[in-house]
Amino acid sequence: MRLELRDITKRFPGVLANDRISISADRGKVLGMLGENGAGKTTLMNILSGLYRPDSGQILIDGEERVFRDPVDAITAGVGMVHQHFMLVPVFDVVEAVALGAETVKGPLKTFDRAAARKRVVELSEQYGLDVNPDARIESLPVGVRQRVEIIKALYRHSDILVLDEPSAVLTPHETEELFGIIRSLAAAGTTVIFITHKLNEVLEVADDIVVLRRGRVAGTADPKTATRQTLANLMVGRDVELIVPKGPAKPADVVLHIENLFVRNDRLDMSVKGLDLDVRAGEIVAVAGVQGNGQTELVEAITGLRSADSGTITIGGHHTEKASPRQVSDLGVAHIPEDRGRDGLISTMTIAENYILDSYHKAPYSHNGVFDLNAVRERAAQGVKDFDIRTPSIETYAGALSGGNQQKVVVAREFSVPVQLVVAAQPTRGLDVGSIEYIHRRLVEQRDAGAAILIVSTELDEVLAVGDRIAVMFDGRIVGILSGDDATYENLGLLMGGATFGGGVAA
Amino acid sequence: MSEPTVVAAHASAAQPESGDSLSDRRALRAARIRAVAFILIGVIALLWASSSFGVTAKFSFWLQERGGASADLVTTVGVLWVAAGVASIVVGVLQLVRGASFRWRRWLLVVIAPWVAATLGALINGKTATMTNVLASSLEAATPITMAALAGILSERSGMFNIALEGKMLVGAFVAAVASSLVFLSTSNALLATLVGVALAMLTCGLLGLLLAWLGIRHKVDQIIAGTVINIGAVGITDVIYLRVLQHSTQYNAPPSVQAMRLPLLADIPVLGPIFFEARPFVYVAYILVIVLTYLIYRTRWGLRLRASGEKPAAAGTVGINVLAIRYRSLFYAGLIAGLAGSYLSLATSGSFQMQMTAGKGFIGLAAVIFGAWHPIGAFFAALVFGFADAVQSLLSILGVAVPPQLLASVPYVVTIIVVAGVVGRVRGPAEAGRPYEQG
Amino acid sequence: MTRARSLGRRIVVPALSVITALLVGAIVIVLTDFEHLSQLTTDPGAAIGGALGGVARAYGAMLTGAFGDPGRVLTALQSGNSKDIAAAIRPITETLVATMPLIFCGLAVAVSFRAGMFNIGADGQLRLGALAATMTAIFLSGQVPAPVILVLAILMAVIAGGLWGFVPGLLKARTGAHEVITTIMLNYISSLVLFFALRSPVLRAAGSTSPVSKNLVPIVDVPNIIDLPTIRLDWGFIVALLMAVAVSWLLFRTTKGFELRASGFSATAARYAGMSAGGSMMLAMTISGGLAGMSGGFMVIGTVGQLSLDISGQIGFNAIALALLAGLRPSGVVMAALLFGALTNGGKLMGVQSGIPFDLLIFVMALVIMFVAAPGLIRSIWRIKVTPPSPEVPSMTTAAPAEQA
Repeated sequence: MRLELRDITKRFPGVLANDRISISADRGKVLGMLGENGAGKTTLMNILSGLYRPDSGQILIDGEERVFRDPVDAITAGVGMVHQHFMLVPVFDVVEAVALGAETVKGPLKTFDRAAARKRVVELSEQYGLDVNPDARIESLPVGVRQRVEIIKALYRHSDILVLDEPSAVLTPHETEELFGIIRSLAAAGTTVIFITHKLNEVLEVADDIVVLRRGRVAGTADPKTATRQTLANLMVGRDVELIVPKGPAKPADVVLHIENLFVRNDRLDMSVKGLDLDVRAGEIVAVAGVQGNGQTELVEAITGLRSADSGTITIGGHHTEKASPRQVSDLGVAHIPEDRGRDGLISTMTIAENYILDSYHKAPYSHNGVFDLNAVRERAAQGVKDFDIRTPSIETYAGALSGGNQQKVVVAREFSVPVQLVVAAQPTRGLDVGSIEYIHRRLVEQRDAGAAILIVSTELDEVLAVGDRIAVMFDGRIVGILSGDDATYENLGLLMGGATFGGGVAA
Repeated sequence: MSEPTVVAAHASAAQPESGDSLSDRRALRAARIRAVAFILIGVIALLWASSSFGVTAKFSFWLQERGGASADLVTTVGVLWVAAGVASIVVGVLQLVRGASFRWRRWLLVVIAPWVAATLGALINGKTATMTNVLASSLEAATPITMAALAGILSERSGMFNIALEGKMLVGAFVAAVASSLVFLSTSNALLATLVGVALAMLTCGLLGLLLAWLGIRHKVDQIIAGTVINIGAVGITDVIYLRVLQHSTQYNAPPSVQAMRLPLLADIPVLGPIFFEARPFVYVAYILVIVLTYLIYRTRWGLRLRASGEKPAAAGTVGINVLAIRYRSLFYAGLIAGLAGSYLSLATSGSFQMQMTAGKGFIGLAAVIFGAWHPIGAFFAALVFGFADAVQSLLSILGVAVPPQLLASVPYVVTIIVVAGVVGRVRGPAEAGRPYEQG
Repeated sequence: MTRARSLGRRIVVPALSVITALLVGAIVIVLTDFEHLSQLTTDPGAAIGGALGGVARAYGAMLTGAFGDPGRVLTALQSGNSKDIAAAIRPITETLVATMPLIFCGLAVAVSFRAGMFNIGADGQLRLGALAATMTAIFLSGQVPAPVILVLAILMAVIAGGLWGFVPGLLKARTGAHEVITTIMLNYISSLVLFFALRSPVLRAAGSTSPVSKNLVPIVDVPNIIDLPTIRLDWGFIVALLMAVAVSWLLFRTTKGFELRASGFSATAARYAGMSAGGSMMLAMTISGGLAGMSGGFMVIGTVGQLSLDISGQIGFNAIALALLAGLRPSGVVMAALLFGALTNGGKLMGVQSGIPFDLLIFVMALVIMFVAAPGLIRSIWRIKVTPPSPEVPSMTTAAPAEQA
């Protein structure tokens, strides 16, 4: 065996992240590691890359036990890591970013030998068909290319055990296919590849062996030739998964959110939303699917008033809101569940009660003429905690002390504490456990049935398919297709997400 | 694969991406306002010109050495105002014609230079401005600021805010003065005294840098608060020792002062020689530091890793680079340079330590970091701007020009505010500067 | 957990921080005692004893300077002689006089910190407030009744200080200019403005060659609380206490205070919640500057009676230390200001009696800030277990009743 992990155990305060995990992978093979968020994949990977040290257990390379005290040990042993969040310095060019930490130097001042490094980057790029411009600045490169730079970075260090963490999260289906091609050619050249993902179809497509993690343990192994999506899903969550959220048919009524020919710029002033049209009606859930970075963030920010539209029309309940402030939009009865709840949705150093009133503190019953009624605040917050089953010792607990699922419940409880006509939810279940996901989805369906218009933006096809009455696919700043929830499948959504339009062509 | 059942599709909205958009309109409006402003100040300059053609403005440059033969530029203040006015109007018109795409910041110098000359001419009002002196003392005044800025660049490139430069310089000035005095008292060797003084000042400040790093990294103290601790503490401790000891025992605060040194050959270059190469050795050290640091930061392995730990420490950490060690070391080196800057103040300028003698130079150095876009050479020129303000101030007081000295003294501080407010141009610093990094 | 225990836990780190800082200060006193230390080789016992005696003298003088002599107070009260009483209680009232600006400026710093703004500019804001009050008093002298002058002078002081605070707030909100640099630059500029203004014969004391203003006491003087000769303690102190209540009410009972705290914790979350983080920054800095300016106003037309260049002393720096020591709670600011007021006032007598410069306290303040900001240091020095101060900053609903107006 090229690589073997035996009984790896890692404990964090309150969490047993890895519980006697054993896996092995041979030279030239692709090992698919499947697991939900929180199953312990990332911890295991950090152990393998020398960032963490296991509490117990062994790492064997070619049958010989090795101790990784730091990343250098792991790199020396041949382990190369492609992190989910790329570990590339944005202002460096490709050569610098690749060579960092493994620079060849010359002269008394240890001058970086850029020419030598560049030569090797070009060689590797050509050898594996990676097609990377060595002189481009990292931040100017599309994510797919950045990932290839990460792979070059590993190969540059002579790694022949390549670990890829959720590599497809930021890729279009087409780019994912290209990545699989690269993985296959690497394996053919003798590299051991560990492919970490939570996407069932991907392991089935690319892996030679599959190991499934659940709650820090190995839940089972599978052979991709015989395994099916359903058997893998069962292993992953430990019971039959409900991929469908229980909900009745939608009863769409009047248009609540109307967007026409919307243009929005991002922080770098590039146009991110490019002439987008979309209607969401009361009583329906419209799910916006798409690969991350196709303008979804800017779209949500424009709707909720956080970013001003460059041009175009947004109306909510008949009111123009292109230039409205977040407060004005919120006052129209718009609930916003932001993408990054830890940063944007909550203030972790404030209490649950304070977070519960975070966006309606200025209104009755919480305050009158700018002065708080603390009893009303306490009563309502306590009610919210009860209604939404938020597990907390008290309403005076700091939000940061709650689990991710309970934090999201605080956000949802707050947003639904006032009557809403439109819900805008961005990645509402990212990073949550299955129970919390179901709970959040059920609440969203409840709001729909109560007559609200719901817009969900998600990069998870499973989520989109589960909750969307209609599914709009966003690509390159536009809606490239809208399917009804019944017609949508992994396949046709995947095509659209990659830029294929009606008729099969690829939009620029 | 089944054909997508498309309910509605907007394959390609053939909308031009620019054109009538909100941000473009804003940019255009801003451009017009700017154009009008340029033209307006141009007209003002021309109006002023009309009344000052009778006033001569004489700018004199020494050719070979100080006090020797000089070349004089003689003109009238009116002409200078005309130049300033014309330059402003031309840039204004260019701005108007080219609209939002006009790179006005690059043209700013064309406007500022004649304005500064005209203002200076108007202020000296017929007297002679010895520009060699002004420029040479700009360089001298810029030296501690340049060094502070270099220390700031090192720190921020590694990912640490170094608001404590002011305090370190103060401590450096103190240690240099005392150590140099003591050595001189016992050996009467001025060179040795100076070298020991400077070395001890550097070492002390290096240790203070380590203290800052330790507070920020080990104890997770907010880097601004940690820096403030050092700044306040430096004032307190140097005041106490000055008042308790130095005030009475003045022999401990009488270091041999460092004199200007002509560099052979280079100082003989006409006009430029007396400006650049007839200065105190500190100035030459500043030149060398600027060049060496530029090379080290942008060309060496050390620089690559330094920049990585300021821009994306996680990327450096995952390839086995010890980011925290880099930050500790950078703050130590930054302390060394700050100590050098401090020793300049007490050994060169005043010849003794005075309470709170840094007077904000450390902070001005930080402004030079921003102004110079975190680049050593940029910071050097930024420091020169501050030095020039300083030099003009002393020129005017020598010439006895009736401008309230407080007004002139406040110029560097006002300029600093304008610079950090980014009015001059927005540049991007190291992305992770000031943020703690958790090493696994 | 009982309230008493929670208070005890909250107080242990600040208390030990102050004690440790004073101990380090003692070491500095010893190390700079060249007179005694020079005997170290000839007579080590006497050298060390003498140096330690210096510490005892210095800190003893500080205590007496801060609180006076209780026995003397008793005798004076029994004698009933107003002059004796005044002399006996003067150390205490002078401590309160020194406390007054510290409360104002401590509150100023606390408000700005709450909103995430590190206002180092209290000194400058205080100076501008003092200047505005002085100018108001001198310009209106004899034209309107003194009480009107008093109110207008304080009002102008608040406005001037508020504007001086608003500028860095505006720059931060609009351009991102770091407030530490801008406020410090404004401190230097304010000194120069003061210097420039005091050149004017209108403001400058007649016949004086040094830059000090005319004596303002004949024009307007804040009424004293205790009417005894030489006692300076006046109603400015009461106003300072009222301001602590007002700030507490603002922070924990009003929506503006909620916005301010929310923006201080997380500017992005505040923006998502429809608040204007920039607006909160500007508001906080304006309030902060206004409080510091008010302090300057009460000083020049009250306790000090005259504008001079060093009107602010080191109050701005001390205010940072005490605001952090107080955990940014208004009630804590009052307590910490009393402590620092005692140190400041006692420090003067220390300077006179033992020759230890008052500036030693600046160094001690720096150490206090360091220890409060790095509780781990205190923990390892004193080898105690301090449970991590999880909710270091109080919330609206958990704030102790004292915080609520």
